[in-house]
Amino acid sequence: MKFVVSSTELLGHLQAISRVISTKNTLPILDNFLFNISGNDLEITASDLESTLITRMHLDNITGSGTVALPARILLDTLKEFSEQPLTFDINPDTMAVVINSENGRFSIVGQNGIDFPVLPVIKKEKRFGFNVPSEVLLTGISRTLFATADDELRPVMGGILVEASTTNLTFVASDAHKLVRYQRSDAKADDNASFILPKKPASLLKNILPRESGVVSVEFDDRNAFFNLSDYRVVCRLVEGNYPNYNSVIPKNNPRKVRIDRLEFYNILRRVSVFSNQASNLVKLQFTPNQITVSAQDVDFSISAYERHKCLYEGDDMEIGFKSVFLIEILSNIASQDVVIELADPTRAGLFLPSETSNEDEDLLMLLMPMMINA
Amino acid sequence: MKKSLKVERSDVLRSCGFDSLTAGPSLPHGRDLSFAPADRQAAGPHDGAQFQTFRPSDFQTFRPLTMDARSILHLDLDTFFVSVERVRDSRLNGRPVIIGGSSDRGVVSSCSYEARSFGVSSAMPMKMARAMCPEAVFIRGDMEMYTKYSRMVTDIIADKAPLYEKASVDEHYIDLTGMERFHGCAGWSHELRDTIIRETGLPISIGLSVNKTVSKIAAGEAKPNGEREVAQQQVLPFLDPLSIRKIPMIGQKTYHTLRSMGISTIHTLRVIPAEMLGSLMGQNGMEIWKKANGIDNTPVISYSEQKSISTEHTFDRDTTDTVMLNQMIVSMTEKLAYELRRQEKLASCLTVRIRYSDFDTHTLQQRVPYTAFDHVLISEAQSLFRRLWQRRMLIRLIGVKVSGLVRGVQQLNMFEDTPEMVSLYMTMDRLRGRFGRHAIRRAAGVMTAAERSERELRKASELLAEKSRMEERLRGWRY
Repeated sequence: MKFVVSSTELLGHLQAISRVISTKNTLPILDNFLFNISGNDLEITASDLESTLITRMHLDNITGSGTVALPARILLDTLKEFSEQPLTFDINPDTMAVVINSENGRFSIVGQNGIDFPVLPVIKKEKRFGFNVPSEVLLTGISRTLFATADDELRPVMGGILVEASTTNLTFVASDAHKLVRYQRSDAKADDNASFILPKKPASLLKNILPRESGVVSVEFDDRNAFFNLSDYRVVCRLVEGNYPNYNSVIPKNNPRKVRIDRLEFYNILRRVSVFSNQASNLVKLQFTPNQITVSAQDVDFSISAYERHKCLYEGDDMEIGFKSVFLIEILSNIASQDVVIELADPTRAGLFLPSETSNEDEDLLMLLMPMMINA
Repeated sequence: MKKSLKVERSDVLRSCGFDSLTAGPSLPHGRDLSFAPADRQAAGPHDGAQFQTFRPSDFQTFRPLTMDARSILHLDLDTFFVSVERVRDSRLNGRPVIIGGSSDRGVVSSCSYEARSFGVSSAMPMKMARAMCPEAVFIRGDMEMYTKYSRMVTDIIADKAPLYEKASVDEHYIDLTGMERFHGCAGWSHELRDTIIRETGLPISIGLSVNKTVSKIAAGEAKPNGEREVAQQQVLPFLDPLSIRKIPMIGQKTYHTLRSMGISTIHTLRVIPAEMLGSLMGQNGMEIWKKANGIDNTPVISYSEQKSISTEHTFDRDTTDTVMLNQMIVSMTEKLAYELRRQEKLASCLTVRIRYSDFDTHTLQQRVPYTAFDHVLISEAQSLFRRLWQRRMLIRLIGVKVSGLVRGVQQLNMFEDTPEMVSLYMTMDRLRGRFGRHAIRRAAGVMTAAERSERELRKASELLAEKSRMEERLRGWRY
C-alpha cells in the first residue's frame, strides 16, 4: 500500500478526530488511528469505544488497499513540525512497517494490524430513526445546552443532552437538576417523534467538528447508537440509555413577576459582587423593587460584603431571591440578546431567564435556574 | 549514663536556639507568681505593668521575635461549673458541690475541691459520687448559663489580648509573644487575671510559658486560683518531677501503658529514646515524647471552624423499643438539621452511634450530598441505624452526628424539592426561630399520648414486679 498526502491537510484531519482518543485507554489499539485505504479514499478512524470519529480524504495518488493502525501520538507530534509538503506513506502489508518519506527525510514507524481495531456498531433496522438537520442548527443546539449538563455519575441520563425530534420542531434540553436549558428550533423537523440522549463527550466533539462544515447533517439512531453523517466526517457514539426526566413539568407556567434588565450590565455586576459571596455556596441575593434591582453578597467568615444597585424594568411588589452566582453567570453568558427577561413566581420557585428579543424567528431559548433556600 | 545524657540535652537545646543568653534573667525554679498587690511595686522590671525607663543593658535580655521564643499564656477557670453556681448562690461556698446528670446513670461533669477530698472526680458515675459524698449539694447544671459566663470571660480576653484561642468552655490560650518588650508578660497576665476575677467573680488559674503544652501544665500546677510562670530555661526542671498524667495528651489508657513499663515521671519519659515511644504508640508516641521534652510548636489559633454537630441520648433504662428508638433518631436528626439551617451550614457526612448495655459501642457513617434537609438526613439516619443494630441486645445510648460542614444554604433541586416542601421548611424554621426549637416538630419524632401512657404503664408495672420480687427475696433472708 502506498499513498501521497499533503502534510498540513492530513494534520488538520487528524487533529479534528484525535480529541476522541482518551489518555487512559483500556485497549492499547485505541491509542492508534486506523487508516483504511480503498479506491481513491483514505478513511481515518479514532475511537474510545464509546464514541468514534471518522474522517475521509480524497487522494489522487493511491496504490493498493487495506487497513493499518498507526500510533496517534507519534503521528501527531511529527506532522505538527512539518511545513506544507507532500508525504509518501509506504506500508508493507505483511510486516505492517510504515515508512513516511518527506522532502528530505525518512521516518519509519511500526503499525498494527487494522483487524484488531474495534468494529463500528450498526444501526438496528427495526429501531432505526433518521432525520436531516442543518449543521448550524445542530451546532447552536449543542453549544447552547452543553454547559448545563450534569456530572452526576448516579444519574447518567442527566449527563447528556436530550435531543427531541418532532414533526414541528427540534428540541435540545440539558439539565443538572439545578439549571435547565431548552433550545427549540422550528426550522428543523423530522417525519415522526423520536428522541435520544447524546452524552457529553460526543456532544463536545461534535461542537468542534460541526464548524468545519456547512450543509446538512444526516442523523441516524436506534436505541443504542447514533450516527452523525457530515460530508467529510462521521461521528458515531453510544447513547445514554434511560428515560430523561419530565422537564416540562418543572418549568413554571405562571410567573407574575417579570424583570427586564441589560444583560451585559447585569453580568458585570454579578462578576463583581460574587467575589464577596461565600466561596462554598456562592450565594448572591437579588432584591427586586419597582424598577430597581439590588445584587448583594456576603461572606461572614471573612466579614466581607458587597451590594450594587441597577435600574431595571420591574413592576410589582418587593421580592428577594437567592441564586448561586456561578450558575447565574453561566446562564447570562449563554444568552446572546441585549436585554434579558427574568420571570419569577416566588423565592422557592425556579426563575426563568429568556432573551428579550431574538434575531432568528425560528429560535426559542429558555433557561431555568432553581433558587437557593434563603431565610427570608 | 545519666550525666552523659544531660550533657547531650543541653547541646541539643543550644543548637535549637534555646540559648540561655536569649532568655530573660534567670528565675528561681518555677517561681510562684501569686503575690499580694503590694509586692508588685517591688517586683522586677518584667513583672510591673507601669512604665519603665530602659537602660541599654536591658536590651540584652529581650527575646528575639522568633518561633522558639514565644510567650504563651494559658487561662483555666477553676471548677468552672461549680464556680458559676457559687457566684449565683453564695450559700454553696465552702460546701462540697457536685454537678452532673441527676439520674443514676449520669456522670459528674464538675465537682468542687471540697468534694474532691471525698474522692469524687469528674467523669465518675453519679451513683458512685453520691455514695462517696452523700452530704454534697447535687446540681443538675445549666449549660446555657455556663456558656453565658464563659462568653463573659472570652469577651474580657478578646478586649485585651491581641491573639487568643478559646480551647474549651473554660480554657483560653493567649499568644503574648513580643509583648515582653513593652508590658512585661507576667505583669500583664496578672492584671488580666485580676480583671477577670473582679468582673466575673470566677476563680481562674494562669500558666505562662513558652508553648501551649507547658503553659497548660503550669496552669494545672497553679490551681486552685494561682499563677505560675515557667521561663525557657526552667521548662525541663519544672516538668521533670511531675507525673506523666499531667501531660495533656496522656489519658487513662496511655497512662496505664506507660505505668506498666515503669514510667511515672516526665523525666523518665523524656529520656526514653523517641523512636522507642514511636514504635510503641505510633505517631502519638512521638508527640508525647516531644511534649515531655517541653516541645510544642502548635500555634495559638484565634478561630477554629466547627467541624461537626452532634447529639446523643442515654436512656434511663436500656431498651429495645424499636418504635421509641426510631422516634429518637427522627427527633435527634431533626434537631441537627434545624441547627444546620440556623447556622446556614450544609453537611456532607452523617454518623449514627449506638452503645449496647455492655458498653459495646458501634458507629456507622455515610456520605451524603451537601444538605440541610430533615427528610434526606432522617431517612439516611434510619437506614444507618437499621444496619447498625445487629446484636439482639438492649441499647443504652444512641447518637447522631453531622460532619463535613460547609457554610452555605441549600441549592434547590428542580426534580426533588417541590416549592410546597421548601415553603414548609421555611415556615417551620420561622416558627422555631420565633417560638423556640420545640414549637413545631415532626410527629414521627414525638410520642403520642397513647404511646406515652402505655410506656408509663409498662414502666410502672415493671417497677412493681421488681419491688415484689425484692420483697420476696428479703422475706427469704429473714427466715
